[in-house]
Amino acid sequence: MQWLLTLESDRDPIVICRLMNIFRRKGLTIETMTLAAKPEGYSCVTVVDTPGTDIDHIFNYLRSTEGVFNVACYRHEPSSAASYVFVESNANPESISRILETLPGSKIIFASHGKYLFEIRSEGRLPQSISGLGEPGFLPLSRVKTSRQRSQMELVGAISS
Amino acid sequence: MGKSFTGSEILLESLRRQSVKVIFGLPGGAVLPLYDALYSAGIRHLLVRHEQAAAFAADGYARVTGKPGVCLVTSGPGATNLMTGLTSALMDSIPVVALTGQVPASLIGKDAFQEADTVGMALPSTKRAFLVRKAADIPSVIHQAFEIAVSGRPGPVLVDLPKSVLMETTEPSYPAGAGADRPRRLREWNEGEVRRAVDMILESNQPLLYVGGGVISAGASGELRELAELAHIPVTTTLMGLGSFPSGHPLSLGMLGMHGAYATNTAVCHCDLMIAVGARFDDRVTGRIDGFAPHAKKIQLDVDPSEVNKNVPVDLALVGDAHETLQALVAEIRRRGKLSVPPERHQWLQRIESWKDEHPLAYDKYSSIVKPQYVIEKVSQIASEDAIIAVDVGQHQMWTAQFYNFRHPRTWLSSSGLGTMGYGFPAAVGAQMAFPDRQVIAFVGDGGFQMTLNDLATIVQYRVPVKIAVVNNRSLGMVRQWQEIFFEKRYCDIDLNFSPDFVKLAESYGIRATRVEHRADVEGAVRDFLSDREPRLIDFWVDPAENCYPIIPPGASLGEMVLGPPRFLVEEEVLDDLWAV
Repeated sequence: MQWLLTLESDRDPIVICRLMNIFRRKGLTIETMTLAAKPEGYSCVTVVDTPGTDIDHIFNYLRSTEGVFNVACYRHEPSSAASYVFVESNANPESISRILETLPGSKIIFASHGKYLFEIRSEGRLPQSISGLGEPGFLPLSRVKTSRQRSQMELVGAISS
Repeated sequence: MGKSFTGSEILLESLRRQSVKVIFGLPGGAVLPLYDALYSAGIRHLLVRHEQAAAFAADGYARVTGKPGVCLVTSGPGATNLMTGLTSALMDSIPVVALTGQVPASLIGKDAFQEADTVGMALPSTKRAFLVRKAADIPSVIHQAFEIAVSGRPGPVLVDLPKSVLMETTEPSYPAGAGADRPRRLREWNEGEVRRAVDMILESNQPLLYVGGGVISAGASGELRELAELAHIPVTTTLMGLGSFPSGHPLSLGMLGMHGAYATNTAVCHCDLMIAVGARFDDRVTGRIDGFAPHAKKIQLDVDPSEVNKNVPVDLALVGDAHETLQALVAEIRRRGKLSVPPERHQWLQRIESWKDEHPLAYDKYSSIVKPQYVIEKVSQIASEDAIIAVDVGQHQMWTAQFYNFRHPRTWLSSSGLGTMGYGFPAAVGAQMAFPDRQVIAFVGDGGFQMTLNDLATIVQYRVPVKIAVVNNRSLGMVRQWQEIFFEKRYCDIDLNFSPDFVKLAESYGIRATRVEHRADVEGAVRDFLSDREPRLIDFWVDPAENCYPIIPPGASLGEMVLGPPRFLVEEEVLDDLWAV
């Protein structure tokens, strides 16, 4: 099952190295990953394939790791109930334009190296027209849990729309 | 302008502000500036003979005090020699702060003399690893290191210090207070979950408390006892949890798991509610998962949320400090006023007693050969109530867990999760440094002892009065046992007959030592050695064919215990097979 994990960390390469080691040791199959950096720290967005029975442990393990914070976990939601979308625009550059046109007010949470995570603000439901079920580079999601305290969702490294 | 100090001086002042009283270490080139400052720093330093012993000693110190133990080594091989000890501390959640020297900053990454990627190697062995880049960062890094070591789930932290940083001068600015005094322990449960847990406790007929090292880390032994007694719940502990609940208490079931007692494992199989406190459902405890407490609802109390549902799915989790959580449970039970024991609970306790009578932990008490269990029982009877027991790894470790009467927390030192041979003796040294006036006894096997016995020099040099009991069966006993039981007695590379004479070896270091080969001599030797205020060693020659029972075979469940050897084997046959080459 596909999950998207987002997190932020101290601006310390040691912490990022530790994260990569955790992903390896916990046997996560990484389908896509991107890291972004700003003076205040790093952010990481990863699509992984792992059984649903493991994801709780992975989420809790990451949020308990020193130097890591604001961990969020999203489940692949192949229906109109999805309220987030992860897009790899290098798969289809028109995807971003389509989302922005069809869903005004959508908010970019993360953007880096052609990968985007949107929060869809369309009464909480993803229109069928762009649910893009099965479309490559387009992953509809629903958020399962987050350790973020604040309501602000943008990750370090996000580019404002 | 304030006064400038070197990085070394700042480091030592930072350690003093963390109330560090002793450091276990071994100097080398990269840390020479630090040792030069240590010369007049007023912090005690114990010179070990191998860096691994420094890590184990810091670990032992931490287990008995609850405060971070500190070790200091040089770069390269000094740091790599620490990794086993740090990994053991991580597995057992022990607060250790490891200070490692590093080559000058300008040489990092250039394969300099005695350079190693210490931080890289420490990543999977620590909670956090820091590379200090400038002397001005030392106070905050040390403060953070101590705070992280004791916060949440405790564990080891490494601070890597380039030589150039130790020599750099700057005006320091120190954070207020000591990081270790303010551990962060988040509480994630709510009052509704506490009420639900108490509902489950009061509704159960056959409850069981399954307690691990987390109760000791949290200082929650008093609250545990209160809950057990108030709700009449029997208590079993893991290897790490020994001492958290008094062994002689009527509700005590001792250790569960691979070498747990029959009554204890059977109780696990039949309980209808299991309350796990500070325990992680380790495979040595659970055996085959689908056979572990199969009829029980489960409540898990843990400070680390990543342990919840990791190995065993539970019905309710209360994430937070064990001390606070147990207090909340007790308060809720008291609030409900249900203090009488329901008849079903009485019957449950009586059933457990019948299982104890049916198959108690036993050994041949009348054998003329010295039985290891007899040695351990005798020490338990004669040692003071607050004696600290350190063990190495192997059969003697399991026998000590089974037969020693632990009355108090923080009196048991065992490398439980990683199972590191060589741990016992240096850990005992660390504990003795923390409590110079208490009895500290190290039960070690002849195999594990040979890994770290070079620190016999340390205990003589510093007059550390550790008592060493070598449980000598002239073999790697636990490996031999497995080869006997599970590999059809194909004994391979377990023969330790070619070992030194431990008595002569100890005497060559200046330590009084005795060999005991007869049962009749055990008690007198133990009394004599425990009454001595100097380091002592007894080499107990025990039955080499003795096996540790019960045992749960690999892949089996707790209900599939092997309670003893096959009846048709006689002792001579086993010994003949054992030494056949």
